[in-house]
Amino acid sequence: MSNFSSIAFYLPELLLVLTILAVIVVDLIPGLKRFNWIIALAGIVFTGVLLYGDSGVSESLYLGTIASDPFAYFFKWIFLIAGFFTILVSRHTHALRGADLPEYNALLLIVVFGLFLMASATNLVTVYLGMIETVSLPSYVLAGILKNDRKSNEASLKYVIFGAFSSGLMVYGFSWLYGLTGSMSLSGIQQGLAGVQEPLALYMAILLVLAGFGYKISMVPFHFWTPDVYEGSPTPITGFLSVAPKAAGFAILMRFFYSVFTTNSLTTIAGVDWLTLIALLSAVTMTFGNLIALQQENVKRMLAFSSIAHAGYMLMALSILSPDAIKAVMVYLTMYLFMNMGAFFMVIFAENQLNAHTLEDWKGLGRKAPFLGALMVILMMSLTGLPPSAGFVGKLYLFAVVIASKKFYWLAIVGVLNSVVSLFYYFRIVKAMWLFSPADPKPVKADSVIGLSILLFTIPALLLGIYWTPIINLIDKSIGF
Amino acid sequence: MAEVAFIIIAAITLASAFFVVFSSNLMYSGVALFFTLFGVAGLYVFLYADFLAATQIMVYVGGIMVLILFGIMLTNKIASTDLRQANRGRFMAGLSAFILFLLISAIAVTTQWHTGSPQFLDTTVAKLGMMILYQYLLPFEVASILLLAALIGAALLSRKK
Repeated sequence: MSNFSSIAFYLPELLLVLTILAVIVVDLIPGLKRFNWIIALAGIVFTGVLLYGDSGVSESLYLGTIASDPFAYFFKWIFLIAGFFTILVSRHTHALRGADLPEYNALLLIVVFGLFLMASATNLVTVYLGMIETVSLPSYVLAGILKNDRKSNEASLKYVIFGAFSSGLMVYGFSWLYGLTGSMSLSGIQQGLAGVQEPLALYMAILLVLAGFGYKISMVPFHFWTPDVYEGSPTPITGFLSVAPKAAGFAILMRFFYSVFTTNSLTTIAGVDWLTLIALLSAVTMTFGNLIALQQENVKRMLAFSSIAHAGYMLMALSILSPDAIKAVMVYLTMYLFMNMGAFFMVIFAENQLNAHTLEDWKGLGRKAPFLGALMVILMMSLTGLPPSAGFVGKLYLFAVVIASKKFYWLAIVGVLNSVVSLFYYFRIVKAMWLFSPADPKPVKADSVIGLSILLFTIPALLLGIYWTPIINLIDKSIGF
Repeated sequence: MAEVAFIIIAAITLASAFFVVFSSNLMYSGVALFFTLFGVAGLYVFLYADFLAATQIMVYVGGIMVLILFGIMLTNKIASTDLRQANRGRFMAGLSAFILFLLISAIAVTTQWHTGSPQFLDTTVAKLGMMILYQYLLPFEVASILLLAALIGAALLSRKK
């Protein structure tokens, strides 16, 4: 579709850009300064309204540089929900008091805009621009926004260095793809590769491209930044980073590998067996994440390693090349959005009220705040994947795909064993909260917004484990590049 | 004749790039980078990319290099810092990097690359302009949002408070 007529399908993103500008401009007007977060939230809500108008659209926009299709549409909702609650909760995070919130909101909205681009990119230029630049660059700043906190400084610096390195590798990989096919668009590369009989060069390109995507979803061995960045960043940002860019990373990974390295008859291109490679990486990623998480005492760090493990579970389905596998990953990401962000909201509550960081500090938290403590038990159950919870349904779909394909039985076994391991450390948190009596039994009350956010994210984490048909129906409609 | 010029320019680029990496003095590295970027501009000329070569010189050699040198000179102590690598695993790292280099070169040499029909244009500016404002209009506009993010981020991080 031509540049001009594409604008009609690009309204949500345009409104997002307008919101970014409004947040920046309003900050300059003395009387309106304190309303900037309302503008940011209202901008996201209205973007959602416009996005709703795009449902069912399947168009290639701006001369094939991006696409507005059901697949991107689904992911855009995940980004909007994550972005909305991150901005909402940030205002009530004590650690962020005194930080520059207007700039913070503007940068967060720019990240959301970049994520939109990432989920809909169909050209190497937009993949790179959306993914590495527009998402990563503001994220580096957001991770280091607590300027007087050494850990936040460290998080920002590590994020920049690893980010720059892996994006360099990825772009080098793109140059190999361009060199092999002479095309920048994903469909053009796929057609070009059909005639190529160079498995070695293709292996090289796939490995290099995986370095960039793997960094975004924190796949082993590109995960080194994850624990330090997650621990050092302000907790709302950690929650956001652990869900939204990871979802976008999976979106681009699925779109890229499905539409570039796969022929029309659903076999891998030029005899390059990248499926086995992904299966191996998946097994390593989840095992590593879970085993290291076992030894963590800091709750945020533990959740960081657990998020590596969750990336491993989702990669499991990616090693099976079928629409069902993509569907399973999308189901899991939906569940993961609620349970993981809910858990991070709970961490914000503990930090706000009790200045609690380690498991030691969390002891007796359940007795002091019984309702929120009970919600946390549900979230931990869901993250482990115990029935009846959303996490269980997510895992069910992942395992079903792996077993049905009859290709990597061993991977399903590794996955089940890993879930058992994860039970142990998630329930260390539960144990700390409930089985110890607190030193100071005075009850603590959560900030109403944070308490409500935890509740709002726990309800789907439980409800979707009992009645998940609507989500499946939605995702069934969302598969289609 | 062209081959001789190419070899000379490539040699300057590579030699100064080595110096950038291996020099233990930041100032020397900075100055060596000057020659590397110049050499890359020369390589662009060999690829018939006249506009790119001119931009490379104006933006990188003229602008960014000067900024880097000013940055080094205006930052306390940074010019006298010893940058020598002291990794324990530097032998292994060097070895694996060398093996990777051999591997990549072997694959690159044996691969049948895509070769379109080369076009020799008098000037590439018109075509580049059309590409940026037509085929790649969206990335071009998105880049401005990216620059906005960079601007806000830089102001935020450098502000005292």
